[in-house]
Amino acid sequence: MTSMKTIENWALHAYVDGELDAADREAIEKLLASDAAARSAVDAYKRQNDALKQAFTDVLSEPVPASLVAVLKAPTRLRQRPWVSIAAALALVVLGGLGGWFTGRDPGGVRAEVIADNAIAAHEIFTAEVRHPVEVTASERDHLQAWLSKRVGVSFKVPDLTAEGYTLLGGRLLASSDQPAAQLMYEDANKRRITIFLTANPGKSETALRVEERGPLIACYWLDGPLGLVVAGEMDRDRMMKLARIIYDKFQA
Amino acid sequence: MDFKQQLAGELPHLRRFAWALIGDAALADDVVQDCIERALVKSHLYDPDRPLRAWLFAILRNVFISSLRRSGRSAVVKTVDELVGGEGSVAPAQEDRLSAAQVAEALNRLPHQHREVIVLVGIEEMSYRDVAEITGVPIGTVMSRLSRARSALRDILEERGHTVLRRVK
Repeated sequence: MTSMKTIENWALHAYVDGELDAADREAIEKLLASDAAARSAVDAYKRQNDALKQAFTDVLSEPVPASLVAVLKAPTRLRQRPWVSIAAALALVVLGGLGGWFTGRDPGGVRAEVIADNAIAAHEIFTAEVRHPVEVTASERDHLQAWLSKRVGVSFKVPDLTAEGYTLLGGRLLASSDQPAAQLMYEDANKRRITIFLTANPGKSETALRVEERGPLIACYWLDGPLGLVVAGEMDRDRMMKLARIIYDKFQA
Repeated sequence: MDFKQQLAGELPHLRRFAWALIGDAALADDVVQDCIERALVKSHLYDPDRPLRAWLFAILRNVFISSLRRSGRSAVVKTVDELVGGEGSVAPAQEDRLSAAQVAEALNRLPHQHREVIVLVGIEEMSYRDVAEITGVPIGTVMSRLSRARSALRDILEERGHTVLRRVK
């Protein structure tokens, strides 16, 4: 007789959740017929699913609040959520000591997040490229700077990060939502890559420095003056904050 | 059907997912609102060959997690003390059906990574593959989290005196 011990517990979960193909399903059903422990586990999982679903079933049939429907009717626009202000207040406490980072109001919060999302996606796609990580290499630094400044619509200097241990590889032109963006890529002696992502900030709104962590990847981003910037790489939070601060200063100069 | 209409059709599920995930109906609707605003801004990134609901759930989850991270809280939960002493200590259910508040409260005591998996699988009936994509972890991780979430949730509900989940059919 097959017993619970010979069948992995996950197979019972997968059975309840309809994840098994016909052959596996049949095998489990055979087991259930003879194994009371497996049967009671499966029953318990099913009852739990039912209880969860029943508890939250009403929300599916109740009318959707007008405020939510209104969002779909209104022209696309980003609102300020209360926690963004809370977060801004917290950021003030945390970053206040750094001076100059924080600008008080935070109207570009969600916009900055969208830029950060795009920058992180671009970082993941292009830092993985072995042969073509950049469009224009560092050997054409002046051209790179002139070209990307022109396309982004804001004149900027490609920062020199050699003192921080990073060599410029080059850069490329990308899109961030509806506007052009530039990605600059650098590499350290151990071939670890970081990127700086820049895009115009037409509203000139400003945000505090924000940090987004996605698994091993960490990104710092902010809107300041004519530019929105995102620095992304795999390193610990403190190092990233220091690096972001240095890059922030270079863009102030 | 245009994108906004499709989005409108997903609102009830987004609200349910958010409510079960966050445990507070009002905050949940705020997160849903943020989620649709972002979905509209990012609509060009949506691949129509993929299920819209899973795409939206991933956005909603990110909105929620960013909000937690930004406000420096590990979760929108009541502390165990509050649960034991205050409004959290609901009487055992009189009927078989647990209320949304009771279940939400039990879910809130699970670690966030376990809660989102059991909500997506148990309530929203998402496939393991979709859950893996939404939460950004391998399928094996989804399965082990689900298994741990199920036994933890059963313990929590039993400890609270609810009989529904261990009643023998």
